[in-house]
Amino acid sequence: MALTPHDQIPTQVLDGAVKEYSRDRVYVLTALFLGAITVVEVLTYAAPTFFLWPNNDIKIFVLLLLMAVKFFTVAYIFMHLRFDKKILTYFFYAGLTLAVLVYIAVLSMFRIWFPGRHG
Amino acid sequence: MAETVYSHESVAEADAQAPVAHIEHDTNTGISNTKLAMWLFLASECLLFGGLITTYILYRHPLEGPTPKEIFDIPFTSTSSFVLLMSSLTMVLAVSAIERGDHERLRVWLGATALLGATFIAGQVYEFTVFVREGLGFTTSRFSSAFYTLTGFHGVHVTVGIIMLMSMLFLSLRGKLPEHRAETVEVVGLYWHFVDVVWIFIFAVVYLIP
Repeated sequence: MALTPHDQIPTQVLDGAVKEYSRDRVYVLTALFLGAITVVEVLTYAAPTFFLWPNNDIKIFVLLLLMAVKFFTVAYIFMHLRFDKKILTYFFYAGLTLAVLVYIAVLSMFRIWFPGRHG
Repeated sequence: MAETVYSHESVAEADAQAPVAHIEHDTNTGISNTKLAMWLFLASECLLFGGLITTYILYRHPLEGPTPKEIFDIPFTSTSSFVLLMSSLTMVLAVSAIERGDHERLRVWLGATALLGATFIAGQVYEFTVFVREGLGFTTSRFSSAFYTLTGFHGVHVTVGIIMLMSMLFLSLRGKLPEHRAETVEVVGLYWHFVDVVWIFIFAVVYLIP
């Protein structure tokens, strides 16, 4: 049976891609958003004592937060994780989580958080 | 009894804008083997770059030679980062173009992505040249070794991405990249975006975090 313009496209066939598919305009807006975040990141260098990051600890937190926002925005919108099958998200985040946990363990082994008297 | 499953062709006819890259495949997961393999590869790459970034964090304080603060040119690297970020936009527009069957724009966006990637690599080569002139060789300090290994490895990934993009462009020019092979472009795009997200990490951790 052929579809008519009034028929709803079954999402099990296209995995929801048609209903939620980001158009080019959304991609451009996403890129502008990412560019704006990059500008804020560079501001932490250009204005080292801005009121939003009065000291290095807060600055590091802000930079990590902005980095995470950029990372997830690219992964979800540009890499289509938002529109694709969930299993791809699970695979990718399994690798990412494993990497983060392993390397936090490595950094902890080298006492990067609390250097102590040998630091 | 109403039909609930339609052939891919009838769905595509119903919506010319439909992204054919996300159709159901005849595999256990419904995802093509190529795409699944690329995602698994990218997951393993997280571990690879995680190791390199961790090594850099451990060795970022040099015992001898120039320090990062002395040699890094943040405005220059920020511009390079922006260029790479924008290449992700052109890449996703290339994927979008082939899904619509717009081959002219596909070629434009693929070419633009390769050009932006090449600009990034040129910037990296220039940066490395300046650093070496300022006395920061690969073996100058533990910091320099970790820095060149991490950023150099990323640069190699970008270069491989440029080669893949040029191959896609070449295939498209020869008419060997029809709409039903849109997923090939999408898979190359996944690699390219991954290279971009890795640089997001590197830019923040190596260049910006004090």
